[in-house]
Amino acid sequence: MTAAVRRLLKELQDTQNDPSEEIVSLAPVDDESILRWRAVLRGPRDSPYEGGYFELRIDVPEQYPIRPPTLVFVTPVCHPNVHFETGEICLDILKTQWSPAWTLTSTCLAIQVLLANPEPSSPLNCDAANLLRCGDVVGYKSLVGMYTLMYAQLPETLQ
Amino acid sequence: MTDMDVDTPPHDSGAAAPVVPKPVSKPAPKPAQSGTATGQATCPRIEIKKWNAVALWSWDMESDVCAICRNNNMELCIECQADQDAKVNNNCSIAWGICNHAFHFHCISRWLKNRNSCPLDNREWDYQKYGN
Repeated sequence: MTAAVRRLLKELQDTQNDPSEEIVSLAPVDDESILRWRAVLRGPRDSPYEGGYFELRIDVPEQYPIRPPTLVFVTPVCHPNVHFETGEICLDILKTQWSPAWTLTSTCLAIQVLLANPEPSSPLNCDAANLLRCGDVVGYKSLVGMYTLMYAQLPETLQ
Repeated sequence: MTDMDVDTPPHDSGAAAPVVPKPVSKPAPKPAQSGTATGQATCPRIEIKKWNAVALWSWDMESDVCAICRNNNMELCIECQADQDAKVNNNCSIAWGICNHAFHFHCISRWLKNRNSCPLDNREWDYQKYGN
């Protein structure tokens, strides 16, 4: 067993003992490998994502936690810092600002915070970012709200 | 003093004899009068035959858990734990940064190859001390 696997087992135990209200589900995809996880986040309150459920795929490298996990949205998300087609997330802690003190749970929470606090100056989705950059908050909220309604319903497996 | 008074018979004042201080040396001292115990006369109620001292110690730090491997700092790091008989275990100690954050030496040195910063506060890392 590698150090990454042993640490992930600890994290799995922690998430089971102390489930977060914001994270609907966080667990390995199957029993085959503990390096592949799936998370479902609740859309943050008082944001246009509220009411939606957002699924993420998490790939953990063998060098974890020295190297960061890769998280991508499976659920299509309309957000300035998320690529609409690939689900790629632009967030510094997933790249240059990663620290081994982060866990999969805290990383998921950071992504949930990003949903409510977009950073339009480094966009992966220019259309969403441009609405914010020109101050069209109403337009932004209704666009995001539409996509949340269209795609971000509770996955059948969790119903 | 009292012994003297008791042993000395009252010579001249015979009439006063009955009023002579009462002999107090013979009866066993009352346990309550511990203040006057002279050692030979007191019979100790408890005798200590054996003494087992137990002491605990821990590192003086904010958190007991190494933020990198999530093992307790008092235990081996996650790598050494898997490798119980490896020689490196002897060296699995704790290292403090100048920011006073502590990690297993093995864990922090693996991280520092990646980036020279404290995993907890992101400040530049410098060793303050290296425990053993």
